[in-house]
Amino acid sequence: MIELIEVSKTYLLGKDQQVQAVKPTNLQIQSGEFVVITGRSGSGKTTLLNLIAGLTRPTSGSVLLDGHDLWSLSDKEQSLLRNQTVGFIFQFPSLLPSLRVLDNVVLPTIFEESGAVSNEKYARAKELLATVGLSDKLRAYPRQLSAGQQQRVVIARALLNQPKLLLADEPTSNLDEQTETEIMELFRQIHTTTGITMVMVTHTSQLVRYGTRAISMAMGQVLNSGD
Amino acid sequence: MNLNLLAWNNIRGSAFRSLVVALSALLVASFAVSTTMIMRGAENSLRLALERLGADILVVPQGAEASAETALLMGVPAEMWMPQSNLEAIAAIPGVEKVSPQIYLTTLEDAACCSAPNMFLVVFDPATDFTITPWLKQNVGGELKLGEVVGGHYVFTPEGAENILIYGYFVTLVANMEPTGTGLDQTMFFTLETARDISRISFSRAVTPLVIPENQVSAIMVKVAEDAVPSEVAIDILQNVPNVTPIESPNMFQAYRKQMSGLLSTVLVVMGITWLLSFVLIGLVFSMAANERRREIGVLRALGATRGHVLRSLLAEAGILALVGGSSGVLLAALGIFIFRKTIVESVGVPFIFPSLPSLLLQIGAGVALTLVSVTLAALLPAYRISRMEPSSAMRE
Repeated sequence: MIELIEVSKTYLLGKDQQVQAVKPTNLQIQSGEFVVITGRSGSGKTTLLNLIAGLTRPTSGSVLLDGHDLWSLSDKEQSLLRNQTVGFIFQFPSLLPSLRVLDNVVLPTIFEESGAVSNEKYARAKELLATVGLSDKLRAYPRQLSAGQQQRVVIARALLNQPKLLLADEPTSNLDEQTETEIMELFRQIHTTTGITMVMVTHTSQLVRYGTRAISMAMGQVLNSGD
Repeated sequence: MNLNLLAWNNIRGSAFRSLVVALSALLVASFAVSTTMIMRGAENSLRLALERLGADILVVPQGAEASAETALLMGVPAEMWMPQSNLEAIAAIPGVEKVSPQIYLTTLEDAACCSAPNMFLVVFDPATDFTITPWLKQNVGGELKLGEVVGGHYVFTPEGAENILIYGYFVTLVANMEPTGTGLDQTMFFTLETARDISRISFSRAVTPLVIPENQVSAIMVKVAEDAVPSEVAIDILQNVPNVTPIESPNMFQAYRKQMSGLLSTVLVVMGITWLLSFVLIGLVFSMAANERRREIGVLRALGATRGHVLRSLLAEAGILALVGGSSGVLLAALGIFIFRKTIVESVGVPFIFPSLPSLLLQIGAGVALTLVSVTLAALLPAYRISRMEPSSAMRE
């Protein structure tokens, strides 16, 4: 499903200053796995997730998603691949404040070839919102929801296009303990029922129990790939 | 939901920013359209006035050029006299096809014997006239009878009255001419016969009698033969007829043209500065907005938006705001000019005629198009820069 070959990422901080966020890394993630990447702040785990998602260009190496070298694709091809194959859950509130919940969920559809949202997509969005327990919030705006409810909407949005890969970056970091458990249980349920490949980044090592494989990182290096 | 709706929702979601951009667009559009409308209105007005005068050369007493032009353009009454014998002298000049005299008079101000105070009156001779008579034949179906007058577009009979009182003499308004935007719109035209009758009656009925000097005329209208060159005829008049000034039709209203040209230069500079300031302001607002929305744009990229989608979405926002602001601006400008056209004419000191509907629509369309292009261009650089950003960098605080 995902293969990282000698992938590294270096950020330039100034003229002469640079920091290697991810050191040359080889990693393979198979279909159906639920990989939990742990590490302290600044360990490079979010950068690694961004590299997997094609959200940042590696300084060296190749990222293969379903056999496609992400950086040999055009912007349009890469965006379409992300749209159709990958679902994202971010650490920060990522719903568009000006859109209602239902419109936020169908948002990825407007970037498809047709550019418009079909009735089928709206039906699927409603179904997904029901799955995450928010069928009564279709017309609400994000500001009218709690942090936990907003994250559920984000999960529904991530699943809209039935992606093969779900990437989550610290999805519970802004939530209280009870909501964190609810969200993680939801992830486990999604993984079990759909068999989707999931990669989650967290600094909370206790959450590795939800995954099928744990990877730990420190100083930009994968210490334990859990193979 | 589609990309344009997304842009519209973003506009609604950032009310203050949207208001600043829309107001800038409104400013650019209203300024561009109002100045264009005034300048074109003044140009059209001059053209129509020249057409109405219908002479190739206007001969006036020496030194009376400015007051004659002011009278004809701005409706400020003027009296000027020269010997009637000039008529024969000019008619004898080679290349002159027709000549006809005109007498310029004024009604009295604050006098019970004049219901139209301080009005410019043009007296013509139907026997020789080639400027008003053809219009009369075409529009009234004949010549003016004794006591009949034809008025400029804004000359009217007082409410409740059947006639207009001039120097204690009742005249009948038989028709109004089309508007020119000049003083001709407030001018009354009648024949020499009527003028002499008014003068006769005025001695017994008016506060001050209307005196028309014997064997004197105010101006002479000259029509040049087809094979003659008007400028050469004008030089001949200048050389052969003493104490007169011939004004060629294209050179008529030169003082106003110069005034308009000066005004146009000032307006263009102010318009350029306004446009530049608005352009920079809109660019800054969009730059700030793009920066504020970096994370949101990063999320959209992660969800599958291409660089093109991001660019199109941001430019659609700019386009919608330009259309809303620009349309409001041009409509406000057109409405403002329509309502305050009299004040504008008085304060700017040039004649003005409101444009015809096709011309108005064209100017409105051009104003909206200018605004659309300006706002889109101002938004282009920030939109392009943010669209080229790596999604992960965009999402980073």
